[in-house]
Amino acid sequence: MTDPYQVLGVSRDASNDEIKKAYRKLSRKYHPDANINNPNKEAAEAKFKEVQAAYNQIINERERGTSGQSSAGYGGYGGSAGGQDFWGSFGGFGGYGSGYGGYGSQQQNQQNQYQDEDSLKFRAAANYINAGSYTEALHVLDSIANRNAQWYYLSALANARMGSNINAKEHARKAVEMDPNNMQYRQLLSQLESGGQWYQDMGQSYGMPTINVSDWCCKILCLNAACGCLCPGAGCCGPGVFYYH
Amino acid sequence: MFGYITVNRPELKVKESAAYDAYYCGLCHALHGRHGRAGQLTLTYDMTFLVILLNGVYEHPLHEKTGRCLVHPMKQHTERWNDFSSYCADMNVLLAYYNLLDDWQDERKISRYAAAQLLSKQYEAIKAKYPRQHKAVADYMKALARCEKKHSDNVEEAACLTGKMLAEVFVCREDAWSSDLRQMGFFLGKFIYLMDAYEDVEKDEKSGNYNPLIKMKDDENFDSECQSMLMMQMAECCKAFERLPIIQDVGILRNILYSGVWAKFASVYNKRNKAGENE
Repeated sequence: MTDPYQVLGVSRDASNDEIKKAYRKLSRKYHPDANINNPNKEAAEAKFKEVQAAYNQIINERERGTSGQSSAGYGGYGGSAGGQDFWGSFGGFGGYGSGYGGYGSQQQNQQNQYQDEDSLKFRAAANYINAGSYTEALHVLDSIANRNAQWYYLSALANARMGSNINAKEHARKAVEMDPNNMQYRQLLSQLESGGQWYQDMGQSYGMPTINVSDWCCKILCLNAACGCLCPGAGCCGPGVFYYH
Repeated sequence: MFGYITVNRPELKVKESAAYDAYYCGLCHALHGRHGRAGQLTLTYDMTFLVILLNGVYEHPLHEKTGRCLVHPMKQHTERWNDFSSYCADMNVLLAYYNLLDDWQDERKISRYAAAQLLSKQYEAIKAKYPRQHKAVADYMKALARCEKKHSDNVEEAACLTGKMLAEVFVCREDAWSSDLRQMGFFLGKFIYLMDAYEDVEKDEKSGNYNPLIKMKDDENFDSECQSMLMMQMAECCKAFERLPIIQDVGILRNILYSGVWAKFASVYNKRNKAGENE
């Protein structure tokens, strides 16, 4: 396989903007519109596609790298079964499938309390999520009366992938609150919360207006303490929180 | 739409500011040329953003012209446009048409009905030319009406409907970039819906209009909760934006996405809190 950095002619430590510039330069050169009268226009078009693929590969690799996700896969948009929507950033949770195998042993004692029917339903919901059928997953979850940590986790996952990030965060928080020692739950919550911090850091250099919402900071601290979750991103407030003075 | 997707002017460089105005005037020009005076009146900042965004992704040749216009006859200004200005002008009219009909149904304002009638011929042409986008907007209006009728207390429901609609408007064609553009449109649509609900929460409570934020309006942390919800949408929108290979006008686009979109929130928040202090 060709090295995407070589295709774009940039070094591996190039910044994202440098990569975008390199992509632009090459795509202008090889774009089909610019090669209508070129006797080798097929070759130019092939090169254009190669450049586009290289760009996408680099951007996707870098995104996975920074969010520490498995290679399970961003880029599944629209590729999921049932024509459900799939909003990009949560593709990395392909890891859930493998985690599910461990679910039985991990939560043996809890599982004994389930009625058989519920445990089948949990399994079905997880399968729907893995297959990309999020609405079906939520339907199944709706029919389960036993709303334990696992329930909130699965609901958070399905919601996140549908783009319902507000519901997702709320349910992930509940899952962590009910089972603070589960790393999978915490990982989902911190992923859902991490975007806000990143966005605010970017916002600062573009003059994002600040608003003095007082005693919010304390509130979030209490909440974090209550649910026993760590604050990745550190600082006074948890992630995803805007604070002002 | 609502004009929330705009620049934070003091933070723009002089050159960027002039370029933004030129795109805005270019869109106005395209609206006039394609849809007449009635079309021109529908001009929004939101669609100016889409012109600059799509142009950043595809870099089609731009045309420029300096002159005067009827709206600002005293001042010379530059218009900058290309085929994306035409696309966004069409989308602007499509959205405006449904908005006017919606206002007519809700508030029975005859002026709204008359304005919609003026656009009806344009609307038919756009419907034929962009069936996917038209279907997204038409389905959205129906689904939103259902959601409002049943008074859903889930904040996500109406917001996601708006998101799905705008996602289709943001995609002018299916290609390597459409999935990121869809994601941007989706989360920006959610942002717009929530921002509008936040701005109108008192008004809607009085008039009895559906607004999913009414139930949490008196919470101690109402403003910060709303801001946190809005910020989540922008974070997801910007993740998709940063994946796109945009160099041209990237400063303007980032100014809008990271800063300009908060102008309205800040002004609503400040107004509300000042009113509270005076009581």
